[in-house]
Amino acid sequence: MSEQQVYEPRIVAFLCKWCSSAGSDLAGVSRIQYPANATPITVPCTGAISPMYIMSAFNKGADGVLVSGCHIGDCHYIEGNYLARRKMKLIMELLEFIGVEPNRFRMSWVSAAEGAKFAKVVTDFVNDLKPLGPQDKLKKAEHT
Amino acid sequence: MEKILDKKRIDDWIAALDNWDIQGPVLEDDIWSYQPVSGAVRLDHPNTKQSPKGLAFPQREIFFKFEQIKGEAPRLTQVVPDEQRHAVFGVRPCDGRGVPRMDLVFNDHVEDNYYQARRKNVAYVGLACNKPPSANCFCLSVGGSPVSTDGLDVQMTDLGDRYFVKAITETGKGLMAAAGKLFAEPSAADQKQVKQVHAEAVAYPQRAVRNVEEVPAKLKASFKSPLWQELAQACIGCGICTFLCPTCHCFDINDEVQSKAPLKGIRVRTWDNCQFPDFTMHSSGHNPRENTGARLRQRVAHKFQYFPENFGMPQCTGCGRCISECPVGIDIINVVNKVAENAA
Amino acid sequence: MINIQDIRETARDMLTKGEVRAVIGYRRGSRGMLAEPTFITSAEQADELVWDPTCFHNLSLYLVHDRKFLAHIRKNAEAPVAIVAKGCDARSIVVLMQEHYFKREDVYIIGVSCEGTGVLDERKLAKHLNGAQASNVAFDGGDFVFTTAEGEKRLPAREVMADRCLECRIPFPREHNIVFGEDKTGRQLEAPFAALTRFEAQGTGARWDFWSHHFDRCIRCFACRSVCPMCYCDECVVDSITFPVTTETTAEDKANRIRWIERSAVRSENITYLMTRAMHLAGRCTDCGECERACPVNVPIRLLNNKMEREAREQFGFEPGASIGGPSLVASFLDRDPGDFIR
Repeated sequence: MSEQQVYEPRIVAFLCKWCSSAGSDLAGVSRIQYPANATPITVPCTGAISPMYIMSAFNKGADGVLVSGCHIGDCHYIEGNYLARRKMKLIMELLEFIGVEPNRFRMSWVSAAEGAKFAKVVTDFVNDLKPLGPQDKLKKAEHT
Repeated sequence: MEKILDKKRIDDWIAALDNWDIQGPVLEDDIWSYQPVSGAVRLDHPNTKQSPKGLAFPQREIFFKFEQIKGEAPRLTQVVPDEQRHAVFGVRPCDGRGVPRMDLVFNDHVEDNYYQARRKNVAYVGLACNKPPSANCFCLSVGGSPVSTDGLDVQMTDLGDRYFVKAITETGKGLMAAAGKLFAEPSAADQKQVKQVHAEAVAYPQRAVRNVEEVPAKLKASFKSPLWQELAQACIGCGICTFLCPTCHCFDINDEVQSKAPLKGIRVRTWDNCQFPDFTMHSSGHNPRENTGARLRQRVAHKFQYFPENFGMPQCTGCGRCISECPVGIDIINVVNKVAENAA
Repeated sequence: MINIQDIRETARDMLTKGEVRAVIGYRRGSRGMLAEPTFITSAEQADELVWDPTCFHNLSLYLVHDRKFLAHIRKNAEAPVAIVAKGCDARSIVVLMQEHYFKREDVYIIGVSCEGTGVLDERKLAKHLNGAQASNVAFDGGDFVFTTAEGEKRLPAREVMADRCLECRIPFPREHNIVFGEDKTGRQLEAPFAALTRFEAQGTGARWDFWSHHFDRCIRCFACRSVCPMCYCDECVVDSITFPVTTETTAEDKANRIRWIERSAVRSENITYLMTRAMHLAGRCTDCGECERACPVNVPIRLLNNKMEREAREQFGFEPGASIGGPSLVASFLDRDPGDFIR
């Protein structure tokens, strides 16, 4: 990266396959412009996301982690997103507790029909991450 | 070489050792540990929580880096320990005696290059124990002494307002010669006082492993003793005893992959511990040391039977760390005595 | 005041009648004043049981060991095991039963109330004794009485008690078969989560400075995991024993394996380990404080668990170890769970 280039945060986005993943596709096919900083990882349900995934993403160098699933009441598995809501709240609190900037972790509900919302979520996240600079608190050190 | 050093001048001595990284006991978070010090070094520590073994045998040693571009041959880059010399101040005699035991392990049959590269650059400046720093000290019963010079390059003895400083090795002489002017010749009174202090140190009552020279045979006869499991029933299988031990040296070697494309990573040696249940776990799921008793037996017998059989001396130096720090009261003195007592 | 003879009598009686296989309790150890866990199987051994401020251990860990052993030898328990349990320990037993680790009838809980005090903090005591050694310690009302070489020394318990006990909300084993000592719930000497509250008053930067310092110091001896009754997984995420490495294993194979946490005791890996552990204990940790006590390098692990405990309580109204039939924190939810953090 040359010095003129602006810092582009890398986001790992865990997307529920029933909603947010399709929502991101919709954003694409609708040709909505939004930053390309997010690497999507499709999961069967946000309820299946272990907090370990989030720690691992940060450990491997993610600048931000996004978890996005179905609106409350819309879960394909009835209650997966309710469970995710609890677990993600806990990991979010814990990350903040140890001194990780709160803006490094984000959760959103994006349905398959909300392409525009997905684009906004990612755009906002990137904008909030940029001032924070690279995440090096939880990142595995470059081996020397 | 025997000299007298005014206590107030120790900082000047350390300042004179300008090519050395000086490690001294530091009290932080309520525990003593060896850390780099500059200027003032404190020698009023009981003993440090961890032994100084990590200077020659760090908890994590990178052997080499690897890299492979798909379809090409892998590229390896060896990582060589740096040449920084370390002088550790305040090493207790038990930890000093740990050094030659570690040397034996890493030189026997195969010379461990990484260990040797670090070891040759570490000098141990010992501090005699005028009285036992811990209630669980038992150096005397395992062939050591609170005034032992084994493994040390320099031995210091606290004489109140001054130290009696004795060079043990050539390296030690070099350390003292670097600040020759600071040292005075000991008077006859000093010599007398050192003898007195040392005699008192040795006379201090300590806990004891009984008849240590008979222990190897007795442990050998007790391999199948049910006592092992009884004594280890409370063992939780953590790594405290081995990680704090001045002579435990088991390690594991792993490849830690840093990136997949291109494939990049390191091969790294880390401390391992015979008390972890997975230490001897086979990939089939079978574990030959299947319970805490078998694992405790391994550690104790290694110190008091296998090592004496191989090298003619107990590996344990009696620092008492594993006793003081065990969260559930496993007491190696008690274990050895009980098993030996009940040997067939 | 608890009379140790009553506990001994209970143990003796049950062992004589064969009502229990064993009694897990505390006895005097071979090193100084500290108690240690004991596993007695005959009535004659009942006299070795002790109860004093050094009975730190959460003995429910050994119920887990017992279960694992029985599973290993493929046997069913013939009779229950009796266990001496403080308030926090009894709550751990409840959590284990809640998770179906064993059944209520498999365990006979000999509850002991911490009454007005709790267990000793060795670090605090060391500062008070200033180098001297105590050979014995006993409860005496609101005081601890130490026997030292210089004679008897009496200290107000609150000066040398563990933080977890000072802040304890329920110093009484509500789940029990028999209980000794008065229920003095509500006697907390410090506000619940006092240490946590003090810590949280700091800003993000100061919190990171604190934690990065401690994460660097962890030596990964796993004493915190080993001493914890809740860390009963057969394989922990930090160990990767199910992946054999053979001469055929290529570097690429290794690269494709999931290694959540590397063996190296470096900051990034230590963080992932300790944070994952805190998450796995959320809603399960009963604040027995054993992880923090066992830690040889004094990493303040309890703060992490406390943080989760308080979030569970304040955000979700959840109390760990409250009832055997109750739901678990992360496998349940309420409609009113906070969701305003979600975009």
